[in-house]
Amino acid sequence: MTALTTPATPATAAARPARAPARGPRGRAVLYWIATHALAVALSLMFVGPLVFVALTAVMTNDQALTGDLWPRTWNWSNFADVFAKSHLLAWVGNTFLYAGLGTAFMLLSSIPVAYAMARFRFRGRKLAFLAVITMMMLPPQVVAVPVYLIWARLDLTGTLWPLILPMLFGDAFSIFLLRQFLVTIPREYTEAAKVDGCSDFRTLVKVILPMARPAIAAVGLFQFFYCWNDYYGPLLYAQTNEANWTLSLGLASFRALHSVQWNLTMAATLLVMAPVIIVFFFAQRVFIEGVTLTGVKG
Amino acid sequence: MSTVHAAPPRWRRGEGLKALLWMSPWLVGFAVFFAYPLAATVYFSFYRYDLFTLEFVGLDNYRYFLVDDRAWVSIKNTLWLVALMVPAQVLFGLGVAWLLTRLKSGVGFFRTVFYLPSLIPVVAGTVSFVFLLNPSGPLNQFLEFVGIAAPDWFGDKDWSKPGLTMLAMWGIGNTMMIFLAALLDVPKHLYEAAAIDGAGAWRQFRSITLPTISPVLMFSTVTGVIYALQYFTQAMIASRVAAGVTDSPGTAFVPGYPELSTLTLAQWLFHVGFRDFSMGYACVLALLLFAFSTVFTLILLRRFRAFDEGGDR
Amino acid sequence: MHRRFLTFALATLTAATLTACTAGTESAPALGSQPRPSGSASAALPASTIELWHGFSAPAEVKAFEDAIAGFRTKFPQITVKLVKGVQDDQITQAVRGGKAPDVASSFTTDNVAQWCRSGTFQDLTQVIKQDGIDLSVLPEVSRSYTEYEGRRCVMPLLADAYGLYYNKALMKGEQPPRTLSELTALTKKLTVRDADGTIKVAGFMPSFQYYENTASHLAPMVGATWYKPDGTSAVGSDPAWKELLRWQKELVDWFGYDKLEKFRKSLGQEWSADHPFYKGKIAMVLDGEWRNAMLANEAKDVDYGTAPLPVSDAKPDLYGGGFTAGTVIGVPKGAKNPQAAWELVKYLTTDTSALVTLSNALRNVPTTKASLESPDLVKDANFQTFLDIFAHPKTITIPASVNSTFNQDSLQEFMVRWEKGSVTDLDAGLAAVDKRFDDKLKLSGG
Repeated sequence: MTALTTPATPATAAARPARAPARGPRGRAVLYWIATHALAVALSLMFVGPLVFVALTAVMTNDQALTGDLWPRTWNWSNFADVFAKSHLLAWVGNTFLYAGLGTAFMLLSSIPVAYAMARFRFRGRKLAFLAVITMMMLPPQVVAVPVYLIWARLDLTGTLWPLILPMLFGDAFSIFLLRQFLVTIPREYTEAAKVDGCSDFRTLVKVILPMARPAIAAVGLFQFFYCWNDYYGPLLYAQTNEANWTLSLGLASFRALHSVQWNLTMAATLLVMAPVIIVFFFAQRVFIEGVTLTGVKG
Repeated sequence: MSTVHAAPPRWRRGEGLKALLWMSPWLVGFAVFFAYPLAATVYFSFYRYDLFTLEFVGLDNYRYFLVDDRAWVSIKNTLWLVALMVPAQVLFGLGVAWLLTRLKSGVGFFRTVFYLPSLIPVVAGTVSFVFLLNPSGPLNQFLEFVGIAAPDWFGDKDWSKPGLTMLAMWGIGNTMMIFLAALLDVPKHLYEAAAIDGAGAWRQFRSITLPTISPVLMFSTVTGVIYALQYFTQAMIASRVAAGVTDSPGTAFVPGYPELSTLTLAQWLFHVGFRDFSMGYACVLALLLFAFSTVFTLILLRRFRAFDEGGDR
Repeated sequence: MHRRFLTFALATLTAATLTACTAGTESAPALGSQPRPSGSASAALPASTIELWHGFSAPAEVKAFEDAIAGFRTKFPQITVKLVKGVQDDQITQAVRGGKAPDVASSFTTDNVAQWCRSGTFQDLTQVIKQDGIDLSVLPEVSRSYTEYEGRRCVMPLLADAYGLYYNKALMKGEQPPRTLSELTALTKKLTVRDADGTIKVAGFMPSFQYYENTASHLAPMVGATWYKPDGTSAVGSDPAWKELLRWQKELVDWFGYDKLEKFRKSLGQEWSADHPFYKGKIAMVLDGEWRNAMLANEAKDVDYGTAPLPVSDAKPDLYGGGFTAGTVIGVPKGAKNPQAAWELVKYLTTDTSALVTLSNALRNVPTTKASLESPDLVKDANFQTFLDIFAHPKTITIPASVNSTFNQDSLQEFMVRWEKGSVTDLDAGLAAVDKRFDDKLKLSGG
């Protein structure tokens, strides 16, 4: 934050957006370089510090975990095995995959055609429809929680994850919104050309649009997957009553409750929940960054 | 919707029907998961309903809202988050993004590092943070080392919300990325011209950067507000973990530990509706939440209206 | 390609939408609706599998439950009992209301009994109790009172908790446990060890309302404070006993100094850990439940301690010997698939002497029937006997069932925390506000 008010001359900062011609003494440029990088390093420590601390605590003994020590005296790798032994971690992972995997697949199946229709077809009320999408996207899920819960209770599906997965067959507002934003940027000429070749709308979507929209679809899919993976509210509402259907989020929250004093194990469990996400991120970084950019910048 | 009616005549007949067909899954979703529940929420708000018996009570649920001090505490806490956590998040995100544009080397590395925490599962991140900020944890050790009397963060009603704000700032990745893209979109020649005119960094920021990124700033703020209105998981987990002992089986747990300081409107709605099963009253709270979010959605819609014209090629 | 599924889903959802007003399945048979099968029960009941949800989670506790069920399995070999551990009240209520009820469910607390009985979450047992000729007078009056609401007995007491005073003999300096509040105050001052700057090293007694078991309900028997008027509305503002309790407590808090006391409280080990301050010699006298005996035996064998009833108001010496009790309750939820078999299991667990003794010996909770309290098989020492006596004492009270569930306790607790902090200027007005909160909420719940 301090950097915002630093009265440094912009010229010395040959940074990307402001690559102004160099001006002023060379010494100030060096100082500026040091200042910005020192700040970046300090921020990095703040961002990564908690993760490192979690990882270190995860291998401590229980006695040491609450002492505030930063470095483990002994490395208790068996803590991770203990987590598996004392909880149903694998079952939770399985349920989380079911929720996230099916949820994402269903969402893509149902949302892509809707987004395509909104971006391409010309019909009365398309703006109204788009406004409806935005309104739904902005609606806090708690607003309609009571009647929606009653629907699922009536269908005898509370206690399972289906009330979270099945709605994905009916389109997800946020995903439709993002996909539509991307699809309108594809020049009409491509679809017109396909039509001239005699392609049906469906074929045009599959053969022409989908390949071009791959980055947006990947981003939307990843967002959905991560949303489901991290979701706590949904599983808490529907699946809490049945331990067999717990997800990682529910499990981790209760793990903490059941093993209230074993911070080392809690941190080991926490680390195990974080790890897959971090790994996926390193492989799919680009997709994420492009996707995030898609959400806000087109304006 | 006058623009729709003024559409060019080359719009062919039949696309309306086709669009209806293509959008049908979502239209069903809209009806079943949005329109009907919203209407039902209004309906149930006039009833006492515990999932077994439905009894018309007129305005009783609304009257109770006026005397339910926990509801008011939860509104106050939620507005605290809107007024302080959201700006902290937006400004910090902007600041970090701005710093990234000023770096000469290692941008990719730092960007990855800054973005990473936003991906950490919320429950895991919150549990970690409460532990990190425990009275004998590393942060408080550091603060005491430099001579600052360290607060008891999630155990102190005056510090629990600042603690949650720190958690929110830690997961700033998305906001930062959006700002970064926006900052990089600012035409460079504007800076060059300003530099020639002798404008300082602050003036350049105010007169060039800020106007260009203001739509993004607006978007981040409004989505941040909407998100703050439904703030649930972090507050719930933090209060549970910090309260510790009260969360054993068989013990009823009132959210908001310590002293209701982390009780948000969304949490109270959940508690009333799905722990107390006062579903009628929960619907009153739901309508209130709906009113709050509608105000902010309208602000956002106005912005998108303008943008939509551009998108409609 | 998904059209067929979509059509199907659309149809089901529409159907659900139209009928969503009355959730909960009506199809499962209700308990006592059919005439009881003639002949001996064991032969007459058809083979079935029943599911029992309970709150215990530690391996030893889970095993104790299995052991207690063993007798039932011999008696009813055709009934398979499936146990599900670690279930909380929330889960029970939500499962029943969502139409996913187990056959038998048990809860650690009595907080939700009123709601459960009134809403029909648990089935009324009155009729089957009559059919089976069970004499409820084998249960102490107080246990009967916390398992029914407005004449509906929807759960049975399984085991009970009783609360008393534990004292660390090494820290007592030869003193006997106090019998009155003024003795407790004097002894606390005598036994407390402080630094020159007032930092507490050892507390004679922790008066803080935020300390583990020092809740309003547990402390109420010390002054004989009542929660409700006969019509169910709040008595907190009008019963002078609450004021006596609060004033006595505040005086002691102020003697310590609120800030010093808070600092001390936050430095204490967790309640359910081996770092409990009573084990560590940090507090000489604590209010705690009978289960602490078992925990002391497991986690802190070296602590030489004694137990006694809680000290009582100087003006009401006849209260001495009583205390607070509540306990685990068990019943048959609405929607149970095999209600008759479920009732047999509930009956067995709550009235069979050997089942209760087995559970009590393993879990170290108070057994609830007179026969089991007097059973020679019940393992007990002087310290455990204290709690059996408190449980059976005529002045022992519980918190009466209220449809407000834990709301009232939480509201009073919130007020008491503000009180001990010194942020309440007008005690009468403050308690009147608590009254209003109870009663407003009661109206919302339709009580």
